[in-house]
Amino acid sequence: MSESVSRDPVVEAYKAGVDRTLIRERLARTPAERVEDLVALARFAEELREAGDAARRAP
Amino acid sequence: MHPGWRRAATIHGSARLTRDVDVVYSRRPENLLRIVAALGPFEPYLRGAPRGLPFRWDVDTIAQGLNFTLTTTLGDIDLFGEITGGGGFDDLRPRAHPVRVFDRDVLCLDLPMLIRVKRAAGRPRDLDALAELEAIADELDR
Repeated sequence: MSESVSRDPVVEAYKAGVDRTLIRERLARTPAERVEDLVALARFAEELREAGDAARRAP
Repeated sequence: MHPGWRRAATIHGSARLTRDVDVVYSRRPENLLRIVAALGPFEPYLRGAPRGLPFRWDVDTIAQGLNFTLTTTLGDIDLFGEITGGGGFDDLRPRAHPVRVFDRDVLCLDLPMLIRVKRAAGRPRDLDALAELEAIADELDR
């Protein structure tokens, strides 16, 4: 990163809760792979939502 | 058009799941025609508005407005003529770089600019996302 950013203490506090292992995993993939993964995850989340709706409708 | 900060965050390494796409679009007349043609088949409508409003998806509507939060048959799309802290398409263009996704190049804000506009938005609900973006910047600096 060539551009430094000033530190905001509130954001710094939130950063303590960020999972760095997830970030490193994401950074190991290409930008296209990251988007494809997001699409797959969104589809999975949608299927879960529909399954939940169906379960609530079931007698 | 190019993806704005949420999908751009994914491209930069965010692991957060988002349900919409943010696009900063050029306000040039020829581009308004392209936007109308591109989204028209997907039934764009004002997200959260009651059905039946006299909303017409055409160049006049876009020209008379600026930012639009839309629902479409593809999903939710936010169209921004300007974003806080970043300006319009021409202001942001020098800070956007082509990224190849789905066999086409899309323009994506660079990470420092993404962080800047996210901060400028100043929304408390974005603090987690902003923290993650800054953590990504930290990781890239390691």
